[in-house]
Amino acid sequence: MSAIEPTMIDQTTGPTAGHATKERRAAWVLTAPALILMVVILLGPVIIAGVLSFTNYSLGNSSFDWVGTQNYEKLFTRSTYEKMFVATLTYVVTVVPISVGLGLGAALLINSLGRFREIYKTIYFLPVMATLLAMAIAWEFMLHPSIGMVNRTLEMGCGTFLEQIWSFMSQGCADRFPVWLGDKRYAIWVICFIGIWQGFGFNMVLYLAGLTSVHRELYHAAEMDGARSAWERFRLVTWPALGPTTVFVVTITCIRAFQVFDTIEAFWPQGGGPNKSTYVMMFAIFEKGVQQNLIGIGSAITMLFLLFVMFLTLIQRWLVERKVHYK
Amino acid sequence: MAELSIKNVTKRFGETEVLKGVSLDIADGEFVSLVGPSGCGKSTLLRIIAGLEEQNSGDIRIGGTSVAGQRAADRNLSMVFQSYALYPHLSVGENIAVPLRMRRMSGLQRLPLLGGLMPGARAMARAIGHDVHRAAEMLEIRHLLDRKPGQLSGGQRQRVALGRALVREPAAFLLDEPLSNLDAKLRVQTRAEIAQLHRRLETTFVYVTHDQVEAMTMSDRIAVMMGGRILQCAAPDVIYEDPDRIEVAEFIGSPKINILPLEVGDDGRLSLLDHALNLAVIDGTRGVASLGLRPETLRLTRGKSPLRGRVVHSENLGAEIFVQIEVAGLAERVTLRAGPEKRNTLALGTSVALDFDIDKALVFDADGARLRKLRHVTRATAEVA
Repeated sequence: MSAIEPTMIDQTTGPTAGHATKERRAAWVLTAPALILMVVILLGPVIIAGVLSFTNYSLGNSSFDWVGTQNYEKLFTRSTYEKMFVATLTYVVTVVPISVGLGLGAALLINSLGRFREIYKTIYFLPVMATLLAMAIAWEFMLHPSIGMVNRTLEMGCGTFLEQIWSFMSQGCADRFPVWLGDKRYAIWVICFIGIWQGFGFNMVLYLAGLTSVHRELYHAAEMDGARSAWERFRLVTWPALGPTTVFVVTITCIRAFQVFDTIEAFWPQGGGPNKSTYVMMFAIFEKGVQQNLIGIGSAITMLFLLFVMFLTLIQRWLVERKVHYK
Repeated sequence: MAELSIKNVTKRFGETEVLKGVSLDIADGEFVSLVGPSGCGKSTLLRIIAGLEEQNSGDIRIGGTSVAGQRAADRNLSMVFQSYALYPHLSVGENIAVPLRMRRMSGLQRLPLLGGLMPGARAMARAIGHDVHRAAEMLEIRHLLDRKPGQLSGGQRQRVALGRALVREPAAFLLDEPLSNLDAKLRVQTRAEIAQLHRRLETTFVYVTHDQVEAMTMSDRIAVMMGGRILQCAAPDVIYEDPDRIEVAEFIGSPKINILPLEVGDDGRLSLLDHALNLAVIDGTRGVASLGLRPETLRLTRGKSPLRGRVVHSENLGAEIFVQIEVAGLAERVTLRAGPEKRNTLALGTSVALDFDIDKALVFDADGARLRKLRHVTRATAEVA
């Protein structure tokens, strides 16, 4: 908190000791409201959750017992939580690279357009603006095994050449097409797909903003220096210039991916998908902490979640300061 | 090293015609400045030579061969940009190496990690490093090679941009206002250094600037451009002393040349403010004309003179003073250059009379073209007339 100590000292006359103390006190008084709010709203709950994660507290109980690291031990030993980690990591590792890549690709394509830029921008941004819960209901209808649009469309491919070249098609036509939301092989990938569909427009907008800061003369310099192909110009100019944007986009996408919840809650309100295959961290926190009122274990998952996010933020800070901060 | 030849180049951006048929021949090893006010098309012409822009018609030849349809990367020209356009993520050494890596190494050899394992990549990297050091030494930036452009001052960045341009020995250098982002002192210093560099490299330089002082001090020839045309292309002293057009005379020279209205009498005799001069036109020009007088051709006089007025402003530059004089009958003030010893006699509000050397006066017709065919009228004939 040294930053808030008074630094404007009158150097010509030299402050008296009393004057300096008075000023320091005034500085503390003036910053107190902000400090108190920060502690009460932001730091307090985190600390409380941290404390509760070592207890067996339930909401409504007047007391609780200390259980030590029991909650954490459960997290790392029980198969339910193993499934939680698998589902969360699968989702993050799939959604982050693809939605960042698609966002960048869309931004580059839109940026190269002369006309219709705004239209494309709006179209790709639509899923970001939509409520994911409402969208999930629409997706649920589309993915319905018998009357859904997806399987109906796939059925149209039966009897065509697609059946010969794609084993998925031939199997689907012979037997039936997958029950997307009821099959543990597909459920997490459906969630990933919706996550990408919903999220890449946001990344695209961030990349579009990043692209405006790329100096046009750099492309000309690259051309003069002998960069003939678009790929070489991208490597030499665009990609390095987008470094800070990329770090930000990846971090934001990671955090959002860790937070995935509403699609899963909409599709499987009871229990995190077929055979817990989509039992992601956020849903686990919700199920344990809210539905089952097991505050202790819910807090433990929350702390773990915070740890992941903090770790990502630290990596981002390190990258921004060391690697991509050119100026 | 090569000569450049520009033939009837035109360029339109939509409805606006930026270049209206520009032709210019630049000899091998020559330093030519394209100078003109902003929007005159000088930068566009440079970019067309570079290949970054395509002309609507006309031809560019580099070293005798037409470069029509050839892209910028294949023209073997180097360019220094106004913003320097250094790659911010690469160190100074890497920046200078880029044109060599792009041209000498294959795509595989340039790969970030695997590139070094490709056959021949090591030796090539060494050769490139050697060339980079040589260029850095020439520009005295060897100690900066490991820094990023963001850590450099404007002048140092400018040198790096020059280094990147000269490291691969191009056919010609194209410089697009390279000094305009430097402070005044550094600009003067770098000006001299670029001129020296040109003498040392003996390569063709095409230099775009809006600063006439830069053009005057560095060039073998100056091409004055205005409104998409080259008005005159000649050596700096010719441009200054013997301009073809009034626009050229007005653009070159600081402070600006004094332009006074002239009347051409029926006998061709010129008169200034109803005062007959000892000069007459030979051809049939009649009516109005203009008289161009450089500030240094004017001098104070006690005798009879049509130019009489009052000192309204003066600028003391130490070695000389520029005095603005409001002359009765003229809309614009007349600027006079005087030595510092005259300072006391030229206080504000002083009434002065100005005389000038008729041989150094430049006469332009109503369209702004220079009238060179003049004859002296002796005072005796004048009085008889």
